[in-house]
Amino acid sequence: MFQLIARRTLLALAMILAASALTFALISAAPGNVAALIAERTAGPAASAELVQSIADDLGLNDPLPVRYGRWLLGSVNGNFGESLRTGKPIADEFAERAPVTGLLLLAGGAIAFTLSLIIGLLGAISNGGPLDKLLRAVSLVGASAPNFFVAALLVMLFSVTLGWLPAFAGSSAASWIMPSLTIALFPMSVLSRVVRVNLQEVMSRPFATTGFAMGYTRFGVLAREALPNIAVPYLTTFGAQFTLMIIGSIVVETVFALKGIGAFFIEAIRFRDFISMQATLLSFIVFFVFVNLLVDIICLLIDPRIRRQSNA
Amino acid sequence: MFNTFRSTIRRPLFVFFTVLLTAVVTIFPIVSSAQEQKPLRIAIKQETGNLDLLQNVSALSTYSLVFDPLIRYGENGQLEPALATSWEVSEDGTKLSFNLRQDVAFSDGTPFNANTARWNLERWMGKPEFAWIGISDAMQSIETTGMYELTINLSRPVPAALYELTIIRPVRFLSPNAVDAEGRQTAPVGTGPWVVTENNNSRTLLTRNNNYWGSKPSFSSMELKVVPDELARSNGLRSGDLDIIGGDWVSPLSPRRARTMQRDPNVAVVAEPGTTSILLTFSPKSPLLQDQRVREAIDLSIERNAIVAIIYEGFATPTTNLFPTVIPFSGDRVVLPQRDVKSARSKLEQAGWKRSGNQWLKDGKVLELELMVSEEALPGSRRLAEMIQGQLSETGIKVRVSSVDNATIHDRRPVFQYDLTFMATYGAPYDPHGTLANLLLSGVDSGPDGKIYTNPELDVVVQSALNAQGDERIIKMQAIYNWLNANMAVSPLVSPKRLWAYNRRVGNFQLPATDYQMPGTDVTLSE
Repeated sequence: MFQLIARRTLLALAMILAASALTFALISAAPGNVAALIAERTAGPAASAELVQSIADDLGLNDPLPVRYGRWLLGSVNGNFGESLRTGKPIADEFAERAPVTGLLLLAGGAIAFTLSLIIGLLGAISNGGPLDKLLRAVSLVGASAPNFFVAALLVMLFSVTLGWLPAFAGSSAASWIMPSLTIALFPMSVLSRVVRVNLQEVMSRPFATTGFAMGYTRFGVLAREALPNIAVPYLTTFGAQFTLMIIGSIVVETVFALKGIGAFFIEAIRFRDFISMQATLLSFIVFFVFVNLLVDIICLLIDPRIRRQSNA
Repeated sequence: MFNTFRSTIRRPLFVFFTVLLTAVVTIFPIVSSAQEQKPLRIAIKQETGNLDLLQNVSALSTYSLVFDPLIRYGENGQLEPALATSWEVSEDGTKLSFNLRQDVAFSDGTPFNANTARWNLERWMGKPEFAWIGISDAMQSIETTGMYELTINLSRPVPAALYELTIIRPVRFLSPNAVDAEGRQTAPVGTGPWVVTENNNSRTLLTRNNNYWGSKPSFSSMELKVVPDELARSNGLRSGDLDIIGGDWVSPLSPRRARTMQRDPNVAVVAEPGTTSILLTFSPKSPLLQDQRVREAIDLSIERNAIVAIIYEGFATPTTNLFPTVIPFSGDRVVLPQRDVKSARSKLEQAGWKRSGNQWLKDGKVLELELMVSEEALPGSRRLAEMIQGQLSETGIKVRVSSVDNATIHDRRPVFQYDLTFMATYGAPYDPHGTLANLLLSGVDSGPDGKIYTNPELDVVVQSALNAQGDERIIKMQAIYNWLNANMAVSPLVSPKRLWAYNRRVGNFQLPATDYQMPGTDVTLSE
């Protein structure tokens, strides 16, 4: 068991290295001169070609790519991501300020997606082809097809502009988090509810479900007692993937609801060609993706002995 | 008797409680509303930053709320007294004397006088990184001739010196107690109407400076809310979460959105003549554009009124002048030419181009030009480019729109790696001198801004105008505009209007003189 977890962790580290090298190389290959941007920030209209060259020398921008990658990775491991070209602040400080915002958004969205997807999937399975099942399938389809920015704009138009019930921007009160959390939860909730529904249908045709009915359990009883535990692994695996994808959704949601999280920081970095912040943010995304998936893998190992046996074999 | 006693006791009590209740009901809301009045909420497109006067990082628009200059840029470029009550320029232009206001203190209580003013000026004047400001480059010495008298001695005359003192940074004044041992600014402490009390990446909160020397704002606090997304800003205004949006440097409002918001009865849209011009510029290194007649053919193919109507939704003025009239020394107005495709074709024929189907050929080459645009550098420029592409295609000039990011345009513009591109003049308070010196003089390093056009002959004309004093300035400035027109060096397109919007909570809304400033001091608020 311990060996399995250690093997998965090593694999995760290798993945972080490979992905970070790839993103570093891609961003380095993008057009635009970091030294010119720094020179413009420090000297304004007085930024001269000489100043740009001296900044490039100071930062080692003329060194070979592997050397620059090694230096950057070493700094990142030590928590030194450099300074934002746009704000001039250390990126580690920016992360420390912004991570709680994104964390809260993801947790709230994740909780909504987790709870509602189970309820919708279960209700669909209880209805089993009835009108409610069809309606919930349609709702899931719409939820999975509607882009975040569109959903956010509709919610703001309805609840803020027209009804005046909720603030248009998040962060000022508990109520202000309702719309951003719902927006970010909509897509994973829709996908997960379909995962629950389809897997429940498949599990309900298995012999142990028939045995449950023979023992006198109601449909809800069989679903809750026999079927739900059996879909835990596919559900958790998909939930892990969807939860990590919410960080991509946070880029749009934080921008629309004026939240100053990591997603907003990333989009601002792209807009201002803040290469150093882009690299640091992408690295944090990679670590987040790999960490959540590793966590899900470990949970699945713990709850399902079949996976442990397969992995040992 | 008992009843009489009770009624005798009760009546005064009844009266007392009635009066008390009435007082509470009437006074409490007044007191509580006075205490709980929401701040004026203005959207800003990016966080304020540390407001360091010597760094090029923070948002320009917030400085004017906290810091004052010696002289303020007023309506139509009029110079107005701020921390200096009066000033005098010596006849040879090398001595600028200022009488300073005597009733001023920084918001931390430090008095403002000639010594603190001199300390401030010496932080940037004469430093190489501020050589782009003429008065800094030419500064010889700063003298305090009295407690409230200050003189700046220059090595050469700088005709735009007084205008340079109206720009946003570094010319404003900081409390000498707001720096560390190395002289680095530690806090934004100025003499302005507002004091920063909270500043983070989601908002900046300011409270009224009750010791402000000028007319004090009628409300006690102001919140600058960071909202980068334009749609979110307009929704926030309509829902009542924001009070004011707009201004190119504060929280830009696109013409299309402004037109939509005009239909909302709870929102007022303000559109006033702008201080910038959008220019179609020709690369002086483009082989296809060396012949002036090709540039003239392009200019003749452009329908500016259509650009105003479609791209700017009517919120712009078509122009062929480099600067709008609100800019000082902006020159005589040039009559707007009519679009004339026939004359444009004739110009190309005169230049030796031969029509072949729907294109022009010369020495086996097709007349095809690259129009480089960046939506980040100039919002709306991609649609504008597509419109120009369509208009030029009627003449037979092929245009390839190259849409690049901000970093690429920063790299390519200074080396003229394009045929056509869009540029904007700097606007008030930087113009006309800012644009003329930085964007037309070939010897001035304008960094990533690039140049509108360069030519050795033009250098002489511009330099002569920038050095001119008195009435001669008007004539020599006009000479620049005449040269540009005669050589078809640039094709000005439109002067966009300044767009702002506010909700019904805001009263007495007045636009500041430049878009680098924020409205606020004259505004009144109702709940």
